[in-house]
Amino acid sequence: MEKFAKAFPSKPLKTTAGKPWALAGVVGSGNLEVLVERGSRPSDAMDCHVETSIPGYKASWLAALADFAHHYPAGGTKVTINDQGAPPVLVTLRLRQAYDHLTKGEK
Amino acid sequence: MTGTSLFHEQTARQRIAALVDPRSFAEMLPPPERLTSPYLAQLGIPVSFDDGVVIGKAKLGGKEIYIAAQVGQFVGGAVGEIHGAKLTGLFKAAARDQVPCVLIIESGGVRLHEGSAGEIAIAETMRAIFECRAKKVPTIAVIATDIGAYGGIGILSTCCDFRVMTEHGRLGISGPIVIEKWMGKKAYDSANRALVWKTSGGKTKYLLGDADALVHDSADAIRDAVAKLLGKSSAITLTSVKTRQKELEKRLKRFGDTADPDAVWKAMGVRDIAGASLASGPEFAAMAKRGK
Repeated sequence: MEKFAKAFPSKPLKTTAGKPWALAGVVGSGNLEVLVERGSRPSDAMDCHVETSIPGYKASWLAALADFAHHYPAGGTKVTINDQGAPPVLVTLRLRQAYDHLTKGEK
Repeated sequence: MTGTSLFHEQTARQRIAALVDPRSFAEMLPPPERLTSPYLAQLGIPVSFDDGVVIGKAKLGGKEIYIAAQVGQFVGGAVGEIHGAKLTGLFKAAARDQVPCVLIIESGGVRLHEGSAGEIAIAETMRAIFECRAKKVPTIAVIATDIGAYGGIGILSTCCDFRVMTEHGRLGISGPIVIEKWMGKKAYDSANRALVWKTSGGKTKYLLGDADALVHDSADAIRDAVAKLLGKSSAITLTSVKTRQKELEKRLKRFGDTADPDAVWKAMGVRDIAGASLASGPEFAAMAKRGK
């Protein structure tokens, strides 16, 4: 297991409507679950907490999360991830799914 | 999500959303509460925010229900201490409030990483189910995926008033691989999918009377079947237990020596085995006489 946390600069979340939290994915082999919650401070940072069963890939994680925080206005959210060996593309996909559910309401 | 998607392909939360009245589901102990397994964390195994089960209150056809759905992809939907405590609490609330409880099952039984805690949790849930039944509060299990209901959850599902199954669903105690490991490949070939489904699948369980409804693999069909059973419940009495015991003894006498599941189908009134194998849900039910 490896556990780390980091906040990434990101433009503040645009909408105030929608749900207070959203979840995407499940903790299964090669998969992960992403929980995105509103109301985190400061409002210009995406606060990330990762727990993964595969140690040694912290650099890839930070790169994927930084990339997402750069491309999406996700400031003021807290992102918590439980991972069981998901590949980086899946991490990005789940982040986008959770973000979509949070801002658009669809589950 | 549209109503036409296959129920067994959906996630636990999608299944609940597809089954109950639109936007009526209120989740209890949702993911932000972070009620995760302390045992898995100690063993260095990733935890899940809901510990593999989604519980809450909703409405079905305007009627209030308690509902739970297990997450099969997370350690096989297996029951740990938190997972089991959530189920126990839900059935206890159902008994207290006299509100029917629906459990969408997808579980191999007790989570081996927290064996004793899981066993106790399942026993406590069963006690809560019997509390419901004593008060004539309907309890309904839905078994609709190939992970099915096995081990302690297989037993728990038969404690409920009714079981709604699809042809994908499986119900048993020891899983096929476990039986093969103990009895040998000659006795039971777990790789023979036709054999596995013909012994523990929804169709056979329906024929034998272990499942009360056999429906298509869609939320609409499952909702209809559940809605029909919501008003009914049967208390367990000494007479009902003795009657059931007699039925099971009769079944053992009738089929105990049979190695061929087709013989069981034939004896239960299925004339066209090949046709019945391809038929699904109600079409299959129409092809059999079905007895106890």
